Amino acid sequence: MSEQSRVKRRDFLKVLGAAGATTAAVGCSQEHVEKLVPYLASPDETVPGVSNYYASTCRECSAGCGIISETRDGRSIKLEGNPDHPVNHGALCARGQAGLQGLYNPDRFRGPMLRDASGKLAPLAWDKAIQTLQQRLGEAKSKGAANAVFINQHENGLFAEFLDQWLGAYGMPAAIRYDAEALHAVEAANKQSFGVAWPTYDFSAAKLIVSFGADFLEGWGASVPNQLAFADARAKLGTAPKFVYVGARRSLTGLNADEWISAKPGSELAILDAISGSGTVQQAADASGVTAATLQKLVDELKAAKPSLVLAGATTANAKEVALAANALNQSLGNVGTTVKNAASSLSMEGADNLDTVRDAFTRMAAGSVPIVFVRGANPVHSLPTALGAGATGTVADAFKKVAFKVSFSSYPDETTDLCDLILPSHHALESWGLVEVVPGTLSLQQPVMEPVFATRDTADVLLAAAKRDPAAASKFTTADWRSYVFSRFPGGQSAITAALPKGIANGTLPRAAATRTVASAAPKATDIAATQGDFYVVVHPHAVLGDGRGANKPWLQELPDPVAKICWQSWVEIHPLTARRMGIQAGDHITVTTSAGSIEAPAYIYLGIRQDTVAVALGQGHTSYGRYASNIGVNATKLLAFAADSGSGLALTTSKGRIATSGARSDLPSTEGSARQHGRGVGQALIAVPGANGTTFRAAPGHGREMPQEHPAGEAAGAEAEGEEHLPGDADHRFLPGLRSPVANDAQGELGDPTSKDKGMYDPNHWSGMAKRRWAMTIDLSRCTGCSACVTACYAENNIPTVGARWQGRSLRPFHSSDGSGWDTRPGANIIKGREMSWLRIERYFEGGEDGVGEFDTRFVPMMCQHCGNAPCEPVCPVYATYHSPDGLNVQVYNRCVGTRYCSNGCPYKVRYFNWHGYGEEARRQYAFPEPLHLQLNPDVTVRGKGVMEKCSFCVQRIRESEHRASLEHRTLQPNEFTTACAQACPSRAITFGDAADDAWAVATLARDERAYHVFEELNTYTAVVYLKKVIHPAVS
Amino acid sequence: MATIARPVTADDPHRRPNVASANVQLPGVRDYEQVDNDIIRTLAPSGGWFAALGLAVAMFLWGAGAWVYQIYWGLGNAGYNPPVMWGVYIITFVFWVGIGHAGTLISAILYLFRAGFRTTIYRCAEAMTVFAVMTAGLFPIIHIGRPWKFFWLIPYPNWRLIWPNFKSPLVWDVFAISTYLTVSSTFLYVGLIPDIAVLRDRETNPVRKRILAVLSLGWRNSEKEWRHFMRMYLFLAAFSTPLVLSVHSVVSFDFAMALTPGWHATLFPPYFVAGAIYSGIGMVFTIIIPIRKFFKLQHFVTINHLDAAAKLALFTAMVVGTAYLIEFWVAWYSGNTFEQNYFYNRVFGQWWWAAWILLTCNMVFPLSLWSQKLRRNPTWLFILSIFINLGMWYERFVIIVPSLSHEFEPWQWGAYMPSWVDVSILVGSFGWFFMWFLLFIKQLPVIAIAEVKEIVPPRLRTHAPVTEIDVSGMHVDYSPETPGEHE
Repeated sequence: MSEQSRVKRRDFLKVLGAAGATTAAVGCSQEHVEKLVPYLASPDETVPGVSNYYASTCRECSAGCGIISETRDGRSIKLEGNPDHPVNHGALCARGQAGLQGLYNPDRFRGPMLRDASGKLAPLAWDKAIQTLQQRLGEAKSKGAANAVFINQHENGLFAEFLDQWLGAYGMPAAIRYDAEALHAVEAANKQSFGVAWPTYDFSAAKLIVSFGADFLEGWGASVPNQLAFADARAKLGTAPKFVYVGARRSLTGLNADEWISAKPGSELAILDAISGSGTVQQAADASGVTAATLQKLVDELKAAKPSLVLAGATTANAKEVALAANALNQSLGNVGTTVKNAASSLSMEGADNLDTVRDAFTRMAAGSVPIVFVRGANPVHSLPTALGAGATGTVADAFKKVAFKVSFSSYPDETTDLCDLILPSHHALESWGLVEVVPGTLSLQQPVMEPVFATRDTADVLLAAAKRDPAAASKFTTADWRSYVFSRFPGGQSAITAALPKGIANGTLPRAAATRTVASAAPKATDIAATQGDFYVVVHPHAVLGDGRGANKPWLQELPDPVAKICWQSWVEIHPLTARRMGIQAGDHITVTTSAGSIEAPAYIYLGIRQDTVAVALGQGHTSYGRYASNIGVNATKLLAFAADSGSGLALTTSKGRIATSGARSDLPSTEGSARQHGRGVGQALIAVPGANGTTFRAAPGHGREMPQEHPAGEAAGAEAEGEEHLPGDADHRFLPGLRSPVANDAQGELGDPTSKDKGMYDPNHWSGMAKRRWAMTIDLSRCTGCSACVTACYAENNIPTVGARWQGRSLRPFHSSDGSGWDTRPGANIIKGREMSWLRIERYFEGGEDGVGEFDTRFVPMMCQHCGNAPCEPVCPVYATYHSPDGLNVQVYNRCVGTRYCSNGCPYKVRYFNWHGYGEEARRQYAFPEPLHLQLNPDVTVRGKGVMEKCSFCVQRIRESEHRASLEHRTLQPNEFTTACAQACPSRAITFGDAADDAWAVATLARDERAYHVFEELNTYTAVVYLKKVIHPAVS
Repeated sequence: MATIARPVTADDPHRRPNVASANVQLPGVRDYEQVDNDIIRTLAPSGGWFAALGLAVAMFLWGAGAWVYQIYWGLGNAGYNPPVMWGVYIITFVFWVGIGHAGTLISAILYLFRAGFRTTIYRCAEAMTVFAVMTAGLFPIIHIGRPWKFFWLIPYPNWRLIWPNFKSPLVWDVFAISTYLTVSSTFLYVGLIPDIAVLRDRETNPVRKRILAVLSLGWRNSEKEWRHFMRMYLFLAAFSTPLVLSVHSVVSFDFAMALTPGWHATLFPPYFVAGAIYSGIGMVFTIIIPIRKFFKLQHFVTINHLDAAAKLALFTAMVVGTAYLIEFWVAWYSGNTFEQNYFYNRVFGQWWWAAWILLTCNMVFPLSLWSQKLRRNPTWLFILSIFINLGMWYERFVIIVPSLSHEFEPWQWGAYMPSWVDVSILVGSFGWFFMWFLLFIKQLPVIAIAEVKEIVPPRLRTHAPVTEIDVSGMHVDYSPETPGEHE
């Protein structure tokens, strides 16, 4: 080596190596380095990556279902029903599931706020906030504490009792237990008839169920237990009850009925009278607009079918009379004791304050005599009619504004909180302690499932802190905090509560709610709807998903299509097709509905299940200030309502006729509905039950249903085709061959995809992994499915599915189209309008019959997700093997291999593949579906998919693998029915069963061989792993 | 090439087979020198050319900008409306692949069939093929969700040992398109070699001369070179011929291999090939008629040539027309309700207008070509060619969009409307295509100089003022009124 060379070979290599490594290391990292900090001292029971489960009580509505929170690394990621809970038995509705999005709502208050002189809310410290509260309490006391108003959300349990105690200590009257969804008329009638607000109904014992507007699947009573009971009744098939729905609009419950009697609103009482004999059928026919023959048939059926079950849930002026008549009818038909049991089924219905109390408080506010008002968990400014109505002036909001000092304990900004001066945000129910008696004798525990997300504080703790600073009140509150108060009140004390916490329930009772209070002035009474002016009956009903509107700030619920109209992120006016044709109204044309109380404008939805002289609007939307997801979506239907009570002192929702007119505007409906008709393709098949002397037989219902074979002679295909069935030449045989056939599971896509290879790798059933021995499959019983859509939300929660319908998530597809020219399509549900929803699981709702607009029609709810075909059309077409068939029968989607050709979706006959059109998972984008802290909910077991890749139902593969790994760690094999998918777990009607169809020990294997089983589009030879069991329709009482 | 000086008779067994019959003669072309001069003069850039190129580049840049925008925001900025997961990009992909086919048909198959009318239009058609395939090749990449991963479709060795799925028609597409691009550009280049040599010989700019010298591979016009050249040309023509059939058959498999009603038909390969040739001839007319006019090459591309090409267009139009009708017949005869429903919807459903545009442009208007008068009217042929292009674009629209929007599952029936990004990229693809084409026609001869010389009779050594020699070497009286001389 020459002298000139200063760099030695070794040095050169060292420098090269170091520089190269640095370049490689720096160049490869696209994102900033995140540090993984291990626990030095691990918190109790916390293992990173392993979930803890905490039992608690759902507070999304007053029903009080038991929940189990899956908490991973200190964050609650999924809510599931508590299987041991007496109310919901392990199921959970969509609203309950979405409790998590209330917990992680990005619009939640981060801490206490005080309205400053300029009228803006400014944050302040808790200490200061409590000091302010205490000071204002003192002022209120001097002005007359007896006039103070505390509006608390209605929830039975310890807190309500504690609150009244606290209020009492300050000389303030008991809190108003506010529940805009409570059915006061029915509860009052039940109390009168049976002595309990909500008796136990036994759907299974009935032979005939007649509902007079009682929407028991979506809000009449506690929907989850009702669904369970109803589904169990319908699953009896041959001996299942016939269900008749009487009402002007077919709600979700109505769509589940075998027969719909489209009576005029307000005419229910006349029909009930005709049945009981206190009126004639002809009178009822005249009043209801239904033919006398139809009513006579109902009367005869009710007389013949014993026992039966009559339910009433009218929202008209005579609601209580209707409910009383139904109760009397149950009595006279001998149903009490058999289908109606006097034992209370749920205490949650007890104790909500009626409209008289609410109205009294607001008239006092309007009069200026209320010194201080508190609101907690209620939003009366949105959920009450705008004007205070007869006998008072001004609006609800004006009355509220007149109060000198307004305190809100709400976690979220909303229309009421907007008017408040001091905001003391309460913990979310999932962050708080509580104790509820849900059914007599059973306590349901509420425990925090994680540390609070924000600097919120439990209202009880705030009240305690305030009381402790007040010398007069301090002596009455000796407990350190709310938690110890709950513990002190638990029967058996600390040890008992420790024992009870894992299950979430315990035996015991709590003091019941106080007797109904008397108020100075009752709310004005609603008028008889028949006497009002207008061309159309205007039916206002609670939203099946959003309820009175409290769910509207949760994107899962906004994105969940209404089970009836299949519209999300929007309000709509339901109108009959013939009426629409007569008036020249197309779907999406804006209709102005005007009643004497006010008017709203919303796009038309043309709906077969409504009377021709009726229009219907759902409550729940039209928020002006309820966070980013709720605001400026749809219209608030309370604008159509006068502040008027029905005869049971509940808010009367159907009180007025009105006029409708097209406004000239139109907007595309954010609907997930393509065609509402099956076109004879047999997606949702059904059988008609025909009662006979020798038991019930079944025949095929229209819509490609096939004759149900009475027996299954092995190896012998059913011979002649069912009578009247058209078999076209070239049409493949649609008849179901029992069992799941999967030609691919044992086929070609092993090792290197060589079909002639002897080495099939893991696809060999004898492979040591044993994977190919399994065939994951699912059965969906359409007789049980009610279409409630809880499974859809469960799927969103489990699989990190982005919601895409928010106003800021849509891109404009026409240049300079958007109002601000920014390239954004700010219509609510813009992406849904373009069909880009991501719901891996959707509920298809097909109508059969009634094509002429007047005939009878039947509804088929078909939950549709990836069918995991044994011979999947999507698999061979993928150029990069991003979708392939796993040895255990799953159709697997590899997100990070997908290049996004979307060919798989073209091949899919079921259209269950969803594409990431935008970067919904990219934090920096406006379309980001999980803005902080919503992203804390994301399931760490499931990838958040990137822009440009395809995704679809995975049969919750993460749950399959987790269970397999757990079994393997415990040195055992999987137990039959050991785990299930998120949808099956949530399903309140137990329609979905998941498992290994290749192993007879699993329930799914038996169900897949059921006589009612069929595969959708079986003639395509896709060998699907999802087996549907035909719906059974009961036109006659069995 | 045509170096014979000895008169031969028509039944002479030594007569060269590759000579033009009477209706492809170029009576307006007197000698080889005129061939060189008339064609090479077209290479001089003109103001109009600069304007056209500027427009094409602007269109291309606009489309490219739209693509960048789409990559940034995601495919959601295109008009996709599930279940319509394929849209303008795949339509335009198939459209451009189809355009490419006429080029190879004219340059290769018609060469093998000794159809002399191809001589003056084949260079144009072959260049069109190469640029059309270049354009088409972009679309699968534009179309996919993650275009930066498009190379995963290419079988390349990698440490994960993951290969593409050879069962997927999209992988077949990758092979088909890349093979086609390779072969057709080779074929174009090989045919150009003698012409490049002519340019080289005339070039005065030393740099350009050097480049042309390299490109001409040192062509010296020797008999040996000609012999090798002709064998090579024949071989490449034979090699390209199956590609005409296979490439578009493979493209048709993208549809035929899926279950989708309206796609799943064995008819698709021949139907697509016929449609491709048809659309290609349409595009040849669209290109050659203005070139002939603006470059004043009417005496090369004669009315007779256009007439012959128009007959080919008429023939393929009838093939595709028959295929359209057979599709309906098959749907009816199959008894398959999904197919029947789809085909009913094709003409009477949501997209009826698209289907009727297609049927009118591709089945009705071409029937005008039964009239000799219209066949020999370049203006009409140009107008018709625009309709053919439109009709063939809509053919792919009708195959893709209504099928996907109206599949098995009624709940998922949907609509589709292209967005401004779709349209921009479609426009940009025309800009890209014409940009290349315009650059080509000013760099290299748009009519094959050497091959034209084959059909131009050589000047006789002895001057015979009243007689000429025809392409077969026969002496004929020169008549300026030979058919095809004037329009």
